[in-house]
Amino acid sequence: MENVPVQEPVLSTVRPAAKKTIFTKLKRDKWLYLLLFPGALYFLVFKYVPMWGILIAFQDYQPYLGFFGSHWVGVDNFKNFFMNPDFFRLLKNTLILSAYNIFFFFPAPIILALLLNEVRKAVFKKTVQTLIYVPHFMSMVIVASITYVFFTTEGGIVSELVSHLFGRQIDFLTSLTWFRPLIVMQTIWKETGWGTILFLAALAGVDAQLYEAAIVDGAGRWRQLWNITLPSIRSTIVILLILRMGASLDNGFEQIFLMTNALNRQVADVFDTYVYSVGITQGSFSYSTAVGLFKAIVGVVLIFGSNFLARKSGESGIF
Amino acid sequence: MRTNTVGGRMFDIINYILLSVFAIVTVIPFIYVIAGSFATSTELASRAFFLIPKTFSLNAYQYIFSTDTLFKSGLVSVYVTVVGTVVNLLFTTTMAYALSRRHLIGRNTVLNLVVFSMVFGGGMIPTFLVVKGLGMLDSLWAMIIPGAINAFNLIIIKNFFQELPPSLLESASIDGCTDLGIFWRIVLPLSKPVLATFALFYAVGHWNDFFSALLYINDSAKWPLQVILQQFVMMSQGTIGDASSMDPTFVKPPDQSVKMAVIVVSSIPIMLVYPWLQKYFVKGVMVGAVKG
Amino acid sequence: MNLNKSWKRSISACCLAPLMVSVVVGCGTSAQQGGTTAAGQPYTITIMSDSFSPDHTDPKSNPVIQALDKYTNTDIQIQWVPNSSYADKINITLASGSLPMVMLITDKTSSFVNAAKSGAFWDLTPYLKDYPNLSKANPIVLNNSSIDGKVYGIYRSRPLGRNAIVYRKDWLQNVGLSEPKTINDFYNMLVAFKTKDPNKDGKGGTYGMVVSKYAGPFDIMQTWFGVPNKWGQDKDGKLIPAQFTPQYLDALKFFRKLYQEKLINQDFAVFDSTKWNDPVVNKQAGVMIDVADRANVLLKTDPNMKLGIIGAIAGPNGLKSPATSGYAGFYAIPKESVKTESDVKKVLAFLDKLNDKQAQDLLWNGVEGINYTVQNGAAVATKQSDPDTNSLTQLEMSIPSELYTKAAQTDTSKLVDQVEQANEKIVVPNPAEPLLSNTYAQKGTQLDNILNDARIKYIVGQIDDAGLQASLDLWRKSGGDDYIKEINDAYTKVQQKK
Repeated sequence: MENVPVQEPVLSTVRPAAKKTIFTKLKRDKWLYLLLFPGALYFLVFKYVPMWGILIAFQDYQPYLGFFGSHWVGVDNFKNFFMNPDFFRLLKNTLILSAYNIFFFFPAPIILALLLNEVRKAVFKKTVQTLIYVPHFMSMVIVASITYVFFTTEGGIVSELVSHLFGRQIDFLTSLTWFRPLIVMQTIWKETGWGTILFLAALAGVDAQLYEAAIVDGAGRWRQLWNITLPSIRSTIVILLILRMGASLDNGFEQIFLMTNALNRQVADVFDTYVYSVGITQGSFSYSTAVGLFKAIVGVVLIFGSNFLARKSGESGIF
Repeated sequence: MRTNTVGGRMFDIINYILLSVFAIVTVIPFIYVIAGSFATSTELASRAFFLIPKTFSLNAYQYIFSTDTLFKSGLVSVYVTVVGTVVNLLFTTTMAYALSRRHLIGRNTVLNLVVFSMVFGGGMIPTFLVVKGLGMLDSLWAMIIPGAINAFNLIIIKNFFQELPPSLLESASIDGCTDLGIFWRIVLPLSKPVLATFALFYAVGHWNDFFSALLYINDSAKWPLQVILQQFVMMSQGTIGDASSMDPTFVKPPDQSVKMAVIVVSSIPIMLVYPWLQKYFVKGVMVGAVKG
Repeated sequence: MNLNKSWKRSISACCLAPLMVSVVVGCGTSAQQGGTTAAGQPYTITIMSDSFSPDHTDPKSNPVIQALDKYTNTDIQIQWVPNSSYADKINITLASGSLPMVMLITDKTSSFVNAAKSGAFWDLTPYLKDYPNLSKANPIVLNNSSIDGKVYGIYRSRPLGRNAIVYRKDWLQNVGLSEPKTINDFYNMLVAFKTKDPNKDGKGGTYGMVVSKYAGPFDIMQTWFGVPNKWGQDKDGKLIPAQFTPQYLDALKFFRKLYQEKLINQDFAVFDSTKWNDPVVNKQAGVMIDVADRANVLLKTDPNMKLGIIGAIAGPNGLKSPATSGYAGFYAIPKESVKTESDVKKVLAFLDKLNDKQAQDLLWNGVEGINYTVQNGAAVATKQSDPDTNSLTQLEMSIPSELYTKAAQTDTSKLVDQVEQANEKIVVPNPAEPLLSNTYAQKGTQLDNILNDARIKYIVGQIDDAGLQASLDLWRKSGGDDYIKEINDAYTKVQQKK
């Protein structure tokens, strides 16, 4: 600490025990506000100024007419959306797929990071880390086409294997039951390695002394894992989970779109693909904004709700 | 060192096997892509999957590298990635540090607004109009500033800062450090693994970004690499049916392999960043820093 | 192409010569809009169009643009936008309020239609007759590209009779058949391609025809059975959608037979369109139904194949082939950037001039001696991919016809042209092509999905006649009835005007 220069000791060290006025608090934290300022300005200009765009959900927005020239239609877009005979099917598909992802994909990078953390050969660890993060860079189009190559009934390796082993052919690509597992498998394959990076960074921060002390106490590998490693990344896991809840109605458009076909559409249709077909291809901005607004409201409720639950159970949550 | 029991050794063996299998399974398709980029179109059509091409062909790469635009656009991408990542880290860490101090008045309001902006957004056209209004169109800054902070990253970095031992910050401030000094001399050096991680996240984001180039850059001399490469893919793709707006007699480039070569050319440079950053992930970095 | 669309959209960017950076989209200082400053000075015209090319020569040093400037006495300033993201760019451009003087419109999206109906674009209908080339535009295509009968843009022409059957001629010889004329012949060809070892490898494993996810082949084959091209007329002259004609079921039963007898690939419902050529090249499948020029693409992958092309197959009503829309986008003229009637006339005169033989040659081949030479009457490009001309070909409208010097033709490419020309006489146009429906604008994709899904489920045997009927009813209930009504209303309106 001897490197730290002594600057204005008066301000930061004077701490009257009595309650301070707001003004003195603000003055005490002036440097913090200076640090906060650029970021806050960014959010104001690039996130909050364009926020008027949400209002077009209540319009029949036409780019050429602009915000002030377009007609106001009240809640018509929402009515159309909720009255849509497909609404509940879309909601169900979206939520089930999200649940699959949270249960099966979300833990994958954590487990993998813990396994990697147990590896003591640095070269092996680095090599594995580097290899598993490669698929993140493959486009979804390629992933979908490789999936086809493996799973097609016209000579796909997996398909052939299954029919040899079980004596019957399963058409994974058009099957209603296999659609969701297939999507989750793709995600696990593609994003697990990438997802470990964050946890490995968190693990890098664990104090090695804690392990030494545990070993002295006679703790085995499992005890160390449970008592030291896992708790040290717990808050990161909780935050990621909370933020993930906010995206419960987002399934990622491209992957689903690429894996959808006439025979599995019934389970494959989700809000994101629906918005694509009504909003983007048909150029109906207002309608897709309305759907987006619905998703956002659900997302905010879920984020703050799960954050509340997390804090109730003693976690620090996102705040 | 850790205890070496029989169970521990068994665990190690299984662990090594599991990790090796997963690594192989994840990397094989990429090898296929590399192999495919060196294969002839006939081979790509006739073999569903292979890891070594029978006939080795450089056609796809010759085609892609036939233009010096590729090099120029590569420089644009490198510039945007490097400058963009620095800007990202600067904006994100400063804000994250301020928000990590729980006593800051207004902190919760700002955090709420940040979380809110993660789910609610104005959309493409309103954001475009802001960028246009700021006069950033056709400037490379338009590919950097509008994405200066990712709210998701901000919150996680803030969380990491919050986890730093409070006693450390306390003692620093007793030693007479201002918040600026604490941030610069204590918080940042202690957060190297975190900074490396988010530098990577941001850099990959910039490198792969082409949507902001589409929206904000009209000048072809400023096209980033991804845009150029996607044009190659579009050109090499056989167009189907009446939907095509390319003239039927248009001379298409020779190979399906172009698509694969494009993936190789666009991803390998950025993939090399991670192994280089890995040195910041070594355990105990933090403890060393504290003691030092 | 369905698959492309998704990520096309996520792709990006647009380009433009450094010179004119401020002119077009969103950077618009409106002072930059075209206009003659003094007599004889070149008129500045800004254009926004799509591009497939990764690089463009700086317009200041591009000999082709200079030659075009000179030929048209114009200062041409083009903003190239990658084709993959063109739709987004149109919307942004409309919203930004700074429009180019000539703007390519790729689809009649609701945002364009609405802008046109709000008076954002010039109605060009009354002017076209005054221009030597534009006046000779094909009336069918002009009608197709119009919005409820009003022409808002100069179309880029494409062959109307582009749909055809491409098959392996060598296989047909091997199985000892002659070119199919009737549906029955066609069926026999597929059977022979499956059973009679057409590739002479003694192994089998071949099937007749390869079909992909893309619905095109079924749409084309349907017309052989007398199913109209998307919309037909009943005896009262009302328009009815193809799926409600009695012949539709005949066609579907035929497709189902092909599928059940494994004459088409069993995984067609998931078969990626970008791999469509592979089974033919790979000696697995012998037939493909798509655009005639598919043959050229196939030959590029394997030049040793012998391919035949058939324009159409005779069904109960004789030879039929569905007409394409005949155009790929059109160039519209915004009122915001082209303010007066005299300016519109100048821009139209310029577009008209681009259809002269000389300008067509410049757009397609570039400058003779620099970008190409003529040998034996055929154009020979000096470079395989020329940044001077790569994107300019996109400006080729070819009205009334393609006049530019073509590259040397192969036997197959000659055949493609012949088939396309012959097809023009038997094409079945879609009477609803220029008509607009609000319901379809909103729910079109879902309606199309219901229909295509039902067709595929019927073919693979997941639903029977009753199930098909249920799907058609669902189609009607999900907005189909409104769609039919709106199209018929629009149709009557246009008919009354005539």
